[in-house]
Amino acid sequence: MKTVLSLTVNGVAHDDVIPDNMLLVDYLREKTGLTGTKIGCDGGECGACTVLIDDRPRHACLTLAATCQDSRIETVDGLSRDSRLTALQRGFNEKLGAQCGFCTPGMIMASEALLRRNPDPSEADIRDALAANICRCTGYVKIIEAVQFAAQELASGELAS
Amino acid sequence: MNEMTPVQSVGVAKPLVDGPEKTTGKAMFAADFQAAETLVGRILRSPVAHANITAMDTSKAEALPGVHAVVTEADCSDTYGVLPIAMNEWALARGRVRYRGEPVAAVAAVDVATAQRALDLIEVTYEELPAYFSAEEARAEGAVLLHDDKPGNIERDAEFDLGDVDKDMAEADLVREIEVKCSEVCQVQMEPHATFAEYDGARERLTIRPSTQVPFYVHKMLARTMGMAEGHIRVIKPHIGGGFGSRTETLQSDLIAGLLARKARATVKVVLSREETFITHRGRPESHITMKVGMKSDGTITAVDFTVQQRGGAYSGYGIVTILYAGSMIYGLYNISSARFQGLRVLTNTPPCGAFRGHGTVKTRFAFEGLIDDMARELGLDPFAVRRANLLAAPTMTENDLLVNSYGLDQCLDWVEKASDWQARKGKLPANKGMGMACSHYISGASKPKHWTGEPHATIHLRVDWDASITLLTGAAEIGQGSSTVMAQCVAETLGVDMSRINVVSSDSALTPKDNGSYSSRVTYMVGNASIDAAQNLKARLIEAAARKLEIATDDVECLGEVYRGGQQDQGLTFDEVVMEALAGEGTITVKGTFDTIPESWGGRKYRGAAIGGTMAFSYAAQVVEVTVDPYTAEITVDKVWVAHDCGKALNPLAVEGQVQGSVWMGMGQAMSEETGFHEGLPLAANMLDYRVPTIIESPPIEVGIIEAADPHGPFGAKEAGEGSLSGFLPALTNAVADAMGVRACELPLTPDRLLELLEKKARDGGANSDRGAA
Amino acid sequence: MELLPDLKLHHPRSVEDAVSLHAAASSGRYLAGGSDLLVNIRRGIEQPESLVYLNNIAEMQAITEATGQISIGGAVTLRELAESAPVRQHFAAVAQAAGEVAGPSHREYGTLGGNLCLDTRCVFYNQSEWWRSANAYCLKNRGEICHVAPGGKKCFAAFSGDVAPALLLFDAEVELAGPDGRRRLALADLYRNDGMDHLTLGQGELLVAVHMAKPSEAVHSAYAKSRVRGSIDFPLAGVAVRIAVSDGKISDLQVGLTGVSPLPFLVRKLDKFIGRAADDACLEELRDAVRGQAKAMKTTFTPPHYRRRVAGALAQKLAASFF
Repeated sequence: MKTVLSLTVNGVAHDDVIPDNMLLVDYLREKTGLTGTKIGCDGGECGACTVLIDDRPRHACLTLAATCQDSRIETVDGLSRDSRLTALQRGFNEKLGAQCGFCTPGMIMASEALLRRNPDPSEADIRDALAANICRCTGYVKIIEAVQFAAQELASGELAS
Repeated sequence: MNEMTPVQSVGVAKPLVDGPEKTTGKAMFAADFQAAETLVGRILRSPVAHANITAMDTSKAEALPGVHAVVTEADCSDTYGVLPIAMNEWALARGRVRYRGEPVAAVAAVDVATAQRALDLIEVTYEELPAYFSAEEARAEGAVLLHDDKPGNIERDAEFDLGDVDKDMAEADLVREIEVKCSEVCQVQMEPHATFAEYDGARERLTIRPSTQVPFYVHKMLARTMGMAEGHIRVIKPHIGGGFGSRTETLQSDLIAGLLARKARATVKVVLSREETFITHRGRPESHITMKVGMKSDGTITAVDFTVQQRGGAYSGYGIVTILYAGSMIYGLYNISSARFQGLRVLTNTPPCGAFRGHGTVKTRFAFEGLIDDMARELGLDPFAVRRANLLAAPTMTENDLLVNSYGLDQCLDWVEKASDWQARKGKLPANKGMGMACSHYISGASKPKHWTGEPHATIHLRVDWDASITLLTGAAEIGQGSSTVMAQCVAETLGVDMSRINVVSSDSALTPKDNGSYSSRVTYMVGNASIDAAQNLKARLIEAAARKLEIATDDVECLGEVYRGGQQDQGLTFDEVVMEALAGEGTITVKGTFDTIPESWGGRKYRGAAIGGTMAFSYAAQVVEVTVDPYTAEITVDKVWVAHDCGKALNPLAVEGQVQGSVWMGMGQAMSEETGFHEGLPLAANMLDYRVPTIIESPPIEVGIIEAADPHGPFGAKEAGEGSLSGFLPALTNAVADAMGVRACELPLTPDRLLELLEKKARDGGANSDRGAA
Repeated sequence: MELLPDLKLHHPRSVEDAVSLHAAASSGRYLAGGSDLLVNIRRGIEQPESLVYLNNIAEMQAITEATGQISIGGAVTLRELAESAPVRQHFAAVAQAAGEVAGPSHREYGTLGGNLCLDTRCVFYNQSEWWRSANAYCLKNRGEICHVAPGGKKCFAAFSGDVAPALLLFDAEVELAGPDGRRRLALADLYRNDGMDHLTLGQGELLVAVHMAKPSEAVHSAYAKSRVRGSIDFPLAGVAVRIAVSDGKISDLQVGLTGVSPLPFLVRKLDKFIGRAADDACLEELRDAVRGQAKAMKTTFTPPHYRRRVAGALAQKLAASFF
C-alpha cells in the first residue's frame, strides 16, 4: 500500500509517494538522499537515527514515514546555515564530542531538542536528554562539555539559530 | 617587528581535521554510498553450530527474478585470515560450518525483499556434529575436532618459565592465589559493518569501500579470496564508525561484497544488521585465569605463576597473538623477574574472537591488580605503596626481553593519588562507599609486523604544488581516533606552518602509500614518526630553494615556518615564495618519510612467541575509582574516576583526553555490564538492549592527568594514548567494591546479580569478613 | 535493516473510525508509538496486513481532571504523563514509572496505551527470525516448546511495562472500545497470567483511556525499577509502592510488581501490615513478602534469582523512604 506523504525536511517541502511500510529513516536516507541520519541498531536501541519531528526527538528507525504527514522533520544535514556550523556543531567539533562521528548526528539532534526547550541545561538535564543515545568512543564526558559549550555560546548570543 | 616564530601545532589542543564533516552529517560511511542500480547484498547464515554441509542447491535463488548473483565457497579461491600462519577461514563456509551464524552463501538482488526471498530459496543440507560452547567441553577427551590440524581443539598452547619461580615464590613472605572468570565482550562500535563494492566489468577491476581499520589487509585478502591481481583492486576507506579491534582483520562481509560485485558485474552494498555485526564478533574471549603471586613484607613481588584459558571461538583469527599477549604483558609494568605462564587458546563452536582494545592484556591485568591489592591489605600496606615497591627504572629490558625505554608510572601514581585526595579520603568514606586503584600499560605498536616484508613500518608522502598547500598522503586508517589530525600536527610542527595548509588524504590504495592499519596503537608512534621524517625531508628541499633564492648557504637559512630568511634583518621569503622557487625546474614536489623500529625492540627469543609484546614504547596509566554500592539492590554507581596516562608527549592534549576517557569508560562497560552469552551457540545478547553498553546516565566524570615521560624514539617523545588505561579500570573498580563492601569480585562483569550473590554469601558466612576489605 | 512486510496504514481521527477500520482488516493491529510493535514486526514476530494508527485521535490525547477523578487518554505520551502536574501531585508513582520507561526519545512517542498493552518479553522470543527459526521457535511464537521451562506448556514471557503496576495501586480502570461499543474494566482484569496471551482485550478492542480516583492527601507513592543500566533497559523488576503512615503506623499499603511474571499485579496479603509500626522489622517482612510473590523465571539475560530478590529489596527501599 502506498501513501502520498507531504512534509518538510529541513525546511524543504516534499511530496512523495511512499509505501506504507517505509520507515522514516529509510525515507530520509533513500528517498531524500540525506544520509546524515545513521542506523546503528536493529530498532530503537542506540539513538543514532534521532531526528526532530516538530521539534521533538524521535527514533527515525521506529517511525513509519507515513505517520509524519504534514510534519516538520529536521535532521543533522540541515542544521548548519550557509555552511556555518551551529553552536552545537562547533561544540561537538571543538570539544571533541565527536570521535568516530557515527553517533554524532543523533547526539546533536537530541541535544538540539534539549536546547530548544531548555537553553540553560544543568549537567543532569543534559544527561537525561541524551539517555537514549549511545556513544562508544567518548565515555560521554566531552559530549556533555560540547552541549555546555553550545549553551554558553547561545546564551552569549553568538550564532543563535 | 621580526618577532615571528614557527607556528606551534604539537602540544596544542586541536579539533579533529575531519570534525566538521562528522558534525554536519556530510561524513560518508560505507552504508551512505549509493550509486544508480546498487544491488543489495545479503548473507545466508548457518542455523546450526557444527555440521558438515552435505549439499547445497542455489538454483532456485539464482532463478528468482531480480537476483543478480549468488555466491558460495565455490566462488572463493582460497582461505583467509589475519595471521599468515593461521589462515583457516573461508569467506563462505566450505564443507563445514563451525558456529551458528557462519556465512554459507550470499545473494545480490535488486532490493532487500528480493534478496531475502532468494536466501529463503537456498537449500542447504547439514549433517550435524557435536558442538562445544565452552572451552572445557571442547577440550574433553574424545571431543570431535573443529579443525583436523588442531588436536585437542587447542589453537595454541603457550608457555614460558623465566627466572626461578619456585625458589622466588618460596622466599616470599606472603603467597596468595586468585581465580578469575571474565565473560566474553564485544566491541560494539556504533557503525554496523558495511561494504560498498563496485565492479568495473569492462576492465575487470574492483573498487571497494569497506568499514575497516586495516584497508591493506582487506586488500590482500580480497585478492587471495577472489583470485584477483592485487593491482586490479582499489580499496578506499570511507569514514569509519569506530573499530576498537573488531575491524582489525578482514571480515567476511568485506570479502562477500567483493565476490558478489564481481559475479553480478555490478555495484553491491552489503550492510550487516546489528545482530550480524555481533555474530561477526572478533571480541575479547571468555577467559579463565588462575594466578599465584609471591610478595615480600615490604610489597616487593618475588614471583608470578599463572594460567590463562581463552575460549577462542571457531577459527584462529588473532587467537595465537591474543594468548601470547595474555602471558607476555605480565612484564613491562612492574619490576618482575620470575614468572611462569601457561596459556591455552581453545577452539569452540562460537563466533571467532579477535583483537579487542587492550588486546590480550586486560583480563590478566584484572587478576593481577586485584590479587596484589588483597595482598597489600593483608600485609598492612597501602595500595599505592605496594605498586611503588615494584617500579621499573627505564631504560631497561624485562626478563622476557621487552624494551622499556621510558617509564612514567611513578608520576601517574603521584598524580592520581593527589587528584583523588587518596591519603586523606581512603578508608574514611561513609558506609557503602569505597575507593580502589590499579595500574596498567600498553604497547605503542608491535615492533615486528605480522606480515614481514622488509618494508618500513610506516611510509608517508607529502606533496606540495603551486598553490603552496601540503597534501599528506597516508595509508593509516582514520577511524575516529584522530590519526589524521595527529599526522597533520606532526607535519605542521616540523615545518612550523599553520595546520590549515595541510590536507590529509587517508587510505586510498590508488593514492596513498601502504600502511598496515590502525591497531595495537601503532599509528601515532610509527606513522607519526614517518610524518616527521617526511616533513623534515620537505623542509630540507624548501631550505635549499630558499638558500638559492636568497643566495645564501643552506646552513644560513632560518626557517620560521611561514617565513624563510637569512637573519633577523632579512625580510625573507614567504612560504609561498619558497614553494614557487622549489617548484622551478622541478614541478610538483613529492617527498617521502618512513619509520622503522629498532632491533632492540623486537622482543626476545627466550620462548616460542616471545616477540609478542615487543614494542618501541609502553604507555603507562594509573587510576582511582570511587564507587557507591546500593545496599538494597547491589547496584554500583561509579562516582568518579581519576586517571593519569603517560603518553610520552601529548601531541594533541584534547585527543589524548578523549582517548583516555574512552578507554577508561570502555573498561567500565566490560567491568560492570557488558557480556555476550549463548544458548546452545545462539547469541543471547546480539542486540544493544541485552548487550549493555553503558548509557550517559551511569557514566561517571573522568578526570584525566596527562603524564609526559618522553620516549627517546617517539614522535616528539609521544607514545600511545588509546588503550593503556582501559585494563586498569576493571581491577580499580573491584578494588573499590572490596573497599566499600568487603567482598572480592572475581567474576566479570560485576552486574548487580553477581554482587548481590557475593554480599549474600558474605552475610551467610557471618561476621568473619565484616571488617572493611576482603580477606 | 530488517524489512517490514507490505502493509496498509490507516489514519483514523476518531475512536469509532479506528475500531471499524480494524474490524474491516483481515489481520490488523493498533499502532501507537510503535517502539515495541515495530521492532517485533521487523523481527518477523508479527506480520499484520494493516496497522491502525492511534496517535491522531484527539480524544485519546488528553489528560482531564474532574472532581476527585482523572482521565488519561491512551495516546498520551509517556513524556506527557511523566510531566503532568496533576499526575505528579496525586499519583507520583505513575509519573515516576512513565519517566522511567526506556529512554527520553522513546517516551516522546511511546504512549500510555502502548505501555499498558505491551507484549510480554522473553530472551527466547525477542530475537530475529533467523535466531528463533534456528532455535525451533517457542511456545509463544510458532513453536512447540518453551525454552524457559522445557516440558511445560505454560509461557512465562514477562510483562515489562513500567506504568501498569503504578496504576494498579490506584485501582485504575481502563476504558475500552471495540466493535460492540465501549466498556470499562478494572486494570487488573486487563491481564491474565499467560505469557502467550496476557491481555483480556476482546477482538478489535483498543484502550481509549485510563480513569482513576485521586487518593487522600496522606497517601504517598513511588516507583522504582531494577535495571543494569541507568536508561533504556526494560525492568528486571519494577516495583510501585503506595503507602500512608499515621502516628508511626502503617495505615495504607499496596505494592505493584512488573517484569517478574506474565502480568503486572498487586502483591497479595499485605493487610497484615496495616496498623504495624513502621520499623526495620516491618520493612524486612515486607521485603520477604514481596520476594515470595515475585516468581521471576529465566526470561531475561539476568538470572531470575536476582530479579526475585531485587523486587523485595526495592519494595523495602521505597517503603523506607516514606518512614
